[in-house]
Amino acid sequence: MAKAELKSDTKTEIEDSSSLKGTLVSVFFVGFFIVVLWVGVYFLYLDRF
Amino acid sequence: MLKSSLNIKVDRRDAKLVMAHFYVAFIALLVGGLAGLLQVLVRSGKFELPAGIGYYQILTVHGVVLGLVLTTFFIMGFQLAAVSKTAGTFTNKQRTIGWIGFWIMTIGTVAAAVMILLNEASVLYTFYAPLQAHFVFYLGLTLVVVGSWAVGTTIILKYAEWRRANPGQPSPLLTFMALVNTMMWTVATIGVAATVLIQLLPWSLGLVETVNVGVSRTLFWYFGHPLVYFWLLPAYMAWYVMIPKIIGGKIFSDSLARMSFILFLLFSIPVGFHHQLLEPGIDPAWKFLQVVLTFLVVIPSLMTAFSLFATFESYGRSQGATGLFGWLKKLPWKDARFTVPFIGMLAFIPAGAGGIVNASHQMNQVVHNTVWVTGHFHLTVATAVVLTFFGVSFWLVPHLTGRKLTKKMNKLALIQGYLWAIGMTFMSGAMHAAGLLGAPRRSSFSEYGGAAQAAEWIPYQIAQAVGGSILFIAIILMLYIFVNLAFFAPKGEEEFPVGEAANQTEKAPMVFENWKLWLGITVLLILFAYTIPFIDLIKNAPPGAQGYKLW
Ligand SMILES: [Cu+2]
Repeated sequence: MAKAELKSDTKTEIEDSSSLKGTLVSVFFVGFFIVVLWVGVYFLYLDRF
Repeated sequence: MLKSSLNIKVDRRDAKLVMAHFYVAFIALLVGGLAGLLQVLVRSGKFELPAGIGYYQILTVHGVVLGLVLTTFFIMGFQLAAVSKTAGTFTNKQRTIGWIGFWIMTIGTVAAAVMILLNEASVLYTFYAPLQAHFVFYLGLTLVVVGSWAVGTTIILKYAEWRRANPGQPSPLLTFMALVNTMMWTVATIGVAATVLIQLLPWSLGLVETVNVGVSRTLFWYFGHPLVYFWLLPAYMAWYVMIPKIIGGKIFSDSLARMSFILFLLFSIPVGFHHQLLEPGIDPAWKFLQVVLTFLVVIPSLMTAFSLFATFESYGRSQGATGLFGWLKKLPWKDARFTVPFIGMLAFIPAGAGGIVNASHQMNQVVHNTVWVTGHFHLTVATAVVLTFFGVSFWLVPHLTGRKLTKKMNKLALIQGYLWAIGMTFMSGAMHAAGLLGAPRRSSFSEYGGAAQAAEWIPYQIAQAVGGSILFIAIILMLYIFVNLAFFAPKGEEEFPVGEAANQTEKAPMVFENWKLWLGITVLLILFAYTIPFIDLIKNAPPGAQGYKLW
């Protein structure tokens, strides 16, 4: 049990120092925002024209 | 060794030229900001302009003075500083050309401004024909453009000199970026110069009686869209190269930055039709083509977003940050040189998303000529770009004047940025919302004969007045900081931050410096996107329009 914990800790550390996970999630958020706004106005457009 | 000792500080003589540009830019901020305040107050319905001053006159002041004068002067100054710092001090000849350009631009600015203030040129920021201004207004604008070409020449000459002295080497990143923006500006301004010199000037002088409105609008927007990228690219210079150094991190990739700038050069110009999507006289197929090209500009924008997030995350993790967003906490939030431009970056997310909506061909009908569009460009140029320029001023002005940004000024600068964020959230947010409800842009307060729909807009106009007033306070604060940094701050050394790439061994591919290739593709794309519709606009033109003075 203790061993397993130690192992997973080291793994996170290596991953963390060079990982760009946050960047990936951030750019997905930007993309999501663009899509939501676009679809919102698109339905407004369908509704009006 | 020679190189590093050469470029510790921007040379005093170059600094003077840069500061001359900044003085004009910040005077423009005061004048244009005041006009903006008056506009939102009028539109709240609670205030009327005194002494017979017209709403459309102050609207013209606001747009021309901030959109054309503040931006062009700041950008020219900033790019001169960036080139002088990274490619070396200008020769006397190069600097003289720069000064000549500065004075031509300044004389042109004063001429155009006087005509607007005399109420002889209330033709709004876009100066669309058939609204007709006094000929001196058009002459003044021509001088601004010609002067900017001279300043651009200084940058091009310095770049050429650097390349001759360093054969086979990629140019310094900041010099490269300033050069791309200068070339884009030069190609784009040919359009506005053409409509002013060939159409509007002879027409306002009475040499010809009528003007082809479709052609003049097309030439204007051939220039008008790259104009917004001319504003944006210097902000990107700061985001790509200076912000990494300020936070203590690295540029994510030198080559990626160069490639995104090349893509902006290619795709910023042949896209003007996305401003004319509801105009007659242009075949929908050509509009669609330019819509597609417009969407290609999204690519370098998203590359920039990725690269900036990556810079921030890499830095945060190098400082021991963990988890998905732990790196956010490691960023220097107390440093105005970082935080104020960062607010600008954040604003660019809704700004860019709104821009995609605007450019979506048929969907443009939902927002066209509504105040949504005004809300949109107050996020792009009036937040993302301007807050970055302010953030640059916090270190560049004291660097040039041999002073220091004090702790107290840094604090004021942070407050300035927060105030801007709050004021703009109110103003731009209300503009977006009212625009979706159909509120028109470029229009003074009116109840439209008591129409129910128009009554819906009024609460949003009050919100705009609240936001605009907060923004005006932020402008006053900014002017106080600028004057302090230019004349009163304690003497000292302020760093000019130039970031280094994360991977120093990676040399930027030399193909990026092949201007025959890039300018060639630029010209081809322009010819492709514009030739046939342009012939159409001339050949099948309706009768020309006489001039109108509706103010
Ligand atoms: Cu545009």
